Amino acid sequence: MFRTKIIISITIFITFLILTSVIKNKTRIIEKKILNLNKVISIKEKNFNEAEFDFYYLTSPAELEKKLRLIGFNDYQPIKYSNIYLNISDLTKIKNKISNLNNLNDKKTENK
Amino acid sequence: MIKKLKINKNKNKNININQKSFYFEDFLETNKKNKILKKSNNFQDRVYLLFFFFFSLILIFSIKITHISLNKKNIFNIEKQTSKFSLIRRDIVDRNGVIISRNVKTFHAAIDPKLVKDKKNFLIKLRINFQDLPINEIKKKLNQKKYFRIIKRINQEEKDKLWALGEKAIKFEPFEARMYTHGNLFSHIIGQVDYDNYGISGIEKYFDKELKNKKLLNKPLKLTLDSNVQYIINKELNIAMKTFDATGGGAVLMDVNNGDIISLVSLPNFNINQRANIKDKKFINKITKGVYELGSIFKTFTVALALEHKLVDTNTIIKDIPRKIRCSIYEITDMKDHPKNLTVEEILIRSSNVGSVILAKKVGEKNFKEFIKKTKITQNPEIELEEVGVPHQLKWNRCKLETVSYGHGITTTPLQATALYAAMSNGGKLIIPSLIKDRKTKPSQTIISKETSNKLSNLLRKVVTSKVGTASLADKNGYYVGGKTGTAESYGDKKNRINTFISIFPASKPKYTLFIMLENPKINKDLIYNYRGVETKAPYNTSGWNSVYVAGKIIEKIGPILAINNKEFTDLYVVEKFN
Repeated sequence: MFRTKIIISITIFITFLILTSVIKNKTRIIEKKILNLNKVISIKEKNFNEAEFDFYYLTSPAELEKKLRLIGFNDYQPIKYSNIYLNISDLTKIKNKISNLNNLNDKKTENK
Repeated sequence: MIKKLKINKNKNKNININQKSFYFEDFLETNKKNKILKKSNNFQDRVYLLFFFFFSLILIFSIKITHISLNKKNIFNIEKQTSKFSLIRRDIVDRNGVIISRNVKTFHAAIDPKLVKDKKNFLIKLRINFQDLPINEIKKKLNQKKYFRIIKRINQEEKDKLWALGEKAIKFEPFEARMYTHGNLFSHIIGQVDYDNYGISGIEKYFDKELKNKKLLNKPLKLTLDSNVQYIINKELNIAMKTFDATGGGAVLMDVNNGDIISLVSLPNFNINQRANIKDKKFINKITKGVYELGSIFKTFTVALALEHKLVDTNTIIKDIPRKIRCSIYEITDMKDHPKNLTVEEILIRSSNVGSVILAKKVGEKNFKEFIKKTKITQNPEIELEEVGVPHQLKWNRCKLETVSYGHGITTTPLQATALYAAMSNGGKLIIPSLIKDRKTKPSQTIISKETSNKLSNLLRKVVTSKVGTASLADKNGYYVGGKTGTAESYGDKKNRINTFISIFPASKPKYTLFIMLENPKINKDLIYNYRGVETKAPYNTSGWNSVYVAGKIIEKIGPILAINNKEFTDLYVVEKFN
């Protein structure tokens, strides 16, 4: 009777000991992973933050104008209202009308 | 004898005299059993204790795991983690979300002299790689053996260079620097922060607490400004300063319906990424802090009051207008000769001082006073900046009404004048100019009726379109520009001449008001204007030949960005192309 008690106790003890060490290790691994992930996130956030900042700096009107000058444009200015088409059908419609007008003008000059 | 008896008594102390029987105790057997029992109990207690101990440990770890899985973020003290990326100041963005200012993690480079092994070698390395560093000073500080900084706010390149020196003594102190993507562009609005990230001017100072609010760190402070529009206005104004050799300039573009400031430029400006102690007065924010006698642009208010009180209509003819009016020691005259009889409309279009005085007399001092009180034009401007000017107290002495009618003897800031023009053109609702998008607005006060407002918009349009108008150069096809010119001077500095133009557009249903100001402009003899289809040079140094010209150029460029439905232009385009 007494021996069985001891055996049971020791078994429980060992099981718990192993369980505890396993759980503790798992917890440590999880903690480490979280910490590492946090570091990675932090670096990514920092990089993203700086990249976003760089993007807004490089696309600021002053910088864009510098680049435009490099490729031959003299001025940074918005496109004229007459050149803005809200959809492709408007654009094709107007282009067709313009080409028709040009054809008519050509015919008139030929007749003259 | 007595002593002997006492000893005997003590000896028999454990003996019960009255005891009648006795037994023999099985001493050995009982004692053994008790001992075994006791040992067994002790062992069980220990096992229980161990069991409890391990059980508690498991419980603790289980709780920890559950806690980690449930509260991933809160389990660690994020703020204290050095690796965690968290900035201490909110971003400032424009109306389209474009970043204007942001904190960036950077470093100060410092030296711990105790860790320098070979001073000579160390100094040589520094001299070779950083030629601008004051090596002699560093040498002195190294001998003092006190920790000191060598470069503040180093960039990545400098950091890499220093790192490559391989010196333990070089330390990098992490530091958050406030950076501005647009440099000079918003200098008068955004302001600056000090090395400890405290706002010291502009929006940075006004919203210092809000910008540091930890709960809102991920939410940027959104302004009403538009970077593209700001850039165009800033650029055109800079060109104008060179063209007309002006000493300064200013511009403000405002939404007439809600007071949103889309652009605010004051020149000269400065680069806010560089720390400098600027004390020169020419660097003040001319729009909010500059206090001026704005001159003829006040004539619009005189006409508005006359129309509002139904004393005249736009077509009412004012007969026999004299060449000059004398008031006390002052003589009020017109710059040009005008016809003797002028309609109210013509008084504004031709910008007649004498005509305005006559209208003001009709309006009366009481109505004028009430108008000025209502509009708060002579009080500090309301804006989210600390750099605001204080207009001078208006004393209604003799001749005040006369001079105020054409904008003299009364001072205000360009911002307030622009806001008042916005109110004149939006149906009469007084607006409070603001730099903050999506703010809470107060119900607005009405200063003139819709009818008067519409009449005024038409009148201002005629100032631009009429042959005798003073602002023809601002007539840009498609944008229905209306406005009023003004030539004035700084209060208390008669030498400081200011040419202004306040425009509203599109005049058919005003959406925006634009104020342009040039300080001490001069005639540019080489500049050829396209004046009503004729190429000409500037005959006078008036607003019509500089401020209006600049306003026209600006409106032409910002119009497409502001997406004005310019029917006039489309019609013209269609007419040109298809008929």
